[in-house]
Amino acid sequence: MSSLPIDEAFPHSLTIEIPFPSQRLATAALRSLAVDQELSALVKRDFDLVSATNGLSGDIAQPDSNAVLQVHYKATTPRMLRVAVNGFFESLSVVVQVMEELDVDVLHEKGIEGLEGVQGVEQGLTGTAVGVRS
Amino acid sequence: MPIALGLEGSANKLGVGIIFHPPSTPPSPHDSAHSDDEVPKSQSKPSASSQVQILCNLRHTFVSPPGTGFLPKDTAAHHRRWVVRLVKQAIKQSKIQIEDIDCICFTQGPGMGAPLSAVAIAARMLSQLWDKPLVGVNHCVGHIEMGRTITGADNPVVLYVSGGNTQVIAYSAQRYRIFGEALDIAVGNCLDRFARVINISNDPAPGYNIEQLAKKGGDVLLDLPYAVKGMDVSFSGILARAEEMARRLHAGRKGEQDLWKEGDKVIGEEDLCFTLQETLYAMLVEITERAMAHVGARQVLIVGGVGCNERLQQMMGMMAADRGGSVFATDERFCIDNGIMIAHAGLLQHSMGFRTKLEESSCTQRFRTDEVLINWRD
Repeated sequence: MSSLPIDEAFPHSLTIEIPFPSQRLATAALRSLAVDQELSALVKRDFDLVSATNGLSGDIAQPDSNAVLQVHYKATTPRMLRVAVNGFFESLSVVVQVMEELDVDVLHEKGIEGLEGVQGVEQGLTGTAVGVRS
Repeated sequence: MPIALGLEGSANKLGVGIIFHPPSTPPSPHDSAHSDDEVPKSQSKPSASSQVQILCNLRHTFVSPPGTGFLPKDTAAHHRRWVVRLVKQAIKQSKIQIEDIDCICFTQGPGMGAPLSAVAIAARMLSQLWDKPLVGVNHCVGHIEMGRTITGADNPVVLYVSGGNTQVIAYSAQRYRIFGEALDIAVGNCLDRFARVINISNDPAPGYNIEQLAKKGGDVLLDLPYAVKGMDVSFSGILARAEEMARRLHAGRKGEQDLWKEGDKVIGEEDLCFTLQETLYAMLVEITERAMAHVGARQVLIVGGVGCNERLQQMMGMMAADRGGSVFATDERFCIDNGIMIAHAGLLQHSMGFRTKLEESSCTQRFRTDEVLINWRD
């Protein structure tokens, strides 16, 4: 973790680094998460793409540079920092789930979650595609 | 291929739909000497009543316990939990490949902030991983376009009534203009909050359960305020009075007050529900009729979750018949929030060249219906 100068107005800060398997995925994550503004003026946030430093990647092979999503949060109080960071991780979970189950190479694999209570599911997928492919 | 994936999550319903707009082959009045460039714009516009094929329409609803409503944080968590598996199932059920999809459509607003953003993040990821353009859709426009296409109503006055919106809309010069609306809370919100104080189930929807109870009433019409303000309506005062009535009902049963009777009838929830529906729907019928008179329309299209209500459809039908017109409504697959309507409106926008840049894809809780340029209509 790089040490950044403490901003007196926002003294409580946290830097999080998320290693991704490729720059493509890290970039997609950054661009998806950076769009929405922070809800509170008491929190500031910066995104960056960095390369893996020694010991960070663990057992994930890091052939790409700039495959680590780095986000730096700073806030006026510990509570605001915690709320913002929790929100970040919730959004990140969607990002990672989409990568895990819906990317081009895994989309057609079997789903890992159940569909109880979903309206519109065709049991056994017996429905035809009604001439979609010409 | 004109196929769109639509993601909807502005309230407690998470909808994922995939729609196909088969290209129509309009007979060209021009002879072969004219080049394609000279085909007038109206020839190439997709007509709303041409065939659309719904490849799949999935929905999962977040139902909160009786006596409560759904809060943004929990609703967003629900959408995050379900969006990936619904998209996966949608692709599987539609039997399409990523190459077949033209665009990723998502609800950009209006609605609840956190749930909208949860779904938007998924949409942005798909747009990048699959390399497809994003199309941000206005939720109200989605309802309108789906209603028009499913019912075949060409240019009706639209009553859009749901838990979050109450608007009377008419089309003019490439905009859906708002003729009248609720000034404070939506009619569905009034119904949902009333359902909480009489503690009925929110499954499948509080309004549905109010409707079933109301069918058992009908002997007594109690006294509720009637709040039509010109072209607009107001519901918060009616809600306050209805909540007072519910408290009186409970107090009577507990013995804190006299048991509530009108004549010989002991008043129950069914009488409160009946009275509330009759009052609210009469108000909606009045402002819809005012708009119809204003524009000279004969067709009414009811869209939005409250549009499923049979009593509302019946009352509207009586008014429309008096004017020599007719009412169009869709079934619960389409009037309740769904992903197909987002895919449908999004694909129409996409076909006219509309794209939402990733950096501009943040959601907004306030997105007026007339902010969208309806350039697929004349």
